[in-house]
Amino acid sequence: MEKELEHQFVTNLERDQNIVHKICRIYTNDQASHNDLFQEITIQLWKAYPKFRGDSKFSTWMYRVALNTAITLYRKKKRGIQTQDYDSVHFRIKVEEYDDDTEQRLSLMYNAVKELNDIDKALVFLYLEDKNYKEISETMGISEVNARVKMNRVKTKLKKILNP
Amino acid sequence: MDELDLLKKDWNKQQGNYPKLTFDQIYKMIWKRSHSIVKWIFYISLIELLAGTLLNIIFSGDKYWESIKENGLEEFTIVLYVISYTITFYFIYRFYRNYRKISTTDDASTLMKNILKTRKTVKYYIAYVLISSGILIVGVSVYMILHHTNKDVEDISNYSFEAMDWVKFIGASVLVLTVFLGIIWLFYRLLYGILLRRLKKNYIELKKLEL
Repeated sequence: MEKELEHQFVTNLERDQNIVHKICRIYTNDQASHNDLFQEITIQLWKAYPKFRGDSKFSTWMYRVALNTAITLYRKKKRGIQTQDYDSVHFRIKVEEYDDDTEQRLSLMYNAVKELNDIDKALVFLYLEDKNYKEISETMGISEVNARVKMNRVKTKLKKILNP
Repeated sequence: MDELDLLKKDWNKQQGNYPKLTFDQIYKMIWKRSHSIVKWIFYISLIELLAGTLLNIIFSGDKYWESIKENGLEEFTIVLYVISYTITFYFIYRFYRNYRKISTTDDASTLMKNILKTRKTVKYYIAYVLISSGILIVGVSVYMILHHTNKDVEDISNYSFEAMDWVKFIGASVLVLTVFLGIIWLFYRLLYGILLRRLKKNYIELKKLEL
């Protein structure tokens, strides 16, 4: 039974691991921290897995636990050397159709997101993942109105970072 | 906002650009040790809850009991113990209840609230230990002074205590006590300040605007 559960869980996570990687990219600045956070999220997902009843999609269920881990449970390790071995340019693949100007704008935008606080990052992440305000409000545990207001403020903050 | 839409477009195009962990790599991870703050909070809280009890046991050796007998404080002490253990167990029970409520499948706000609540229980316990031991130490000192029953100080008690000496004595006691309790409190604040700073900041940030 336990073996079956393990297999099921790992198969699911292997399939949907991109969601976790995306969260790690937003919340960490170097590969080692990325791996650390990925591991912690995996552990927390596994611990919570018995509560997953399958009435929603596995990927939908993951958002909550993964974000909770990134915002609340995970304690950043102090590292001797603060490396930023993937900056905005490094961690994206260049999209052929973009011109240099668009590339430039995107790289500034990725860097701007990095400067936001943990909560704002979560809002941006959920927005990028195409979640509606109802889903955002349920994941974060705030009212829909609050989610909207917060999202608008994040947009303003980003504008300010881009045009100081 | 155009920039954000641009970002979203690009975000969706990056799907193929993430590390791809294999089944075995992920399987190995699920057995690794968690470094979550909840675990730290749990261990530290348990140590704190037990420390009060341990201190009691260490200090209540045979000699201690004898001196209580000499002073005729047996009943008083027993009642005090019953009360203090009842209160301690109540705190442990509350802590356990709160701890069980912490669930990563809750929404972010509920999760944070539950973690903070768990900590608060222990905070109140520490406050209770500090305040009650403060009162007890003062109470015992006053009792001893008034009754002069401690044989070790019999000689000294022949000296008459003038008003000024009393003020000095009480002042010094209060000072020592305050410093002692203050150090414990400071240590405690430091520990949790570090552990819960980010969580508290995020919780306040999240609840901003919420009515």
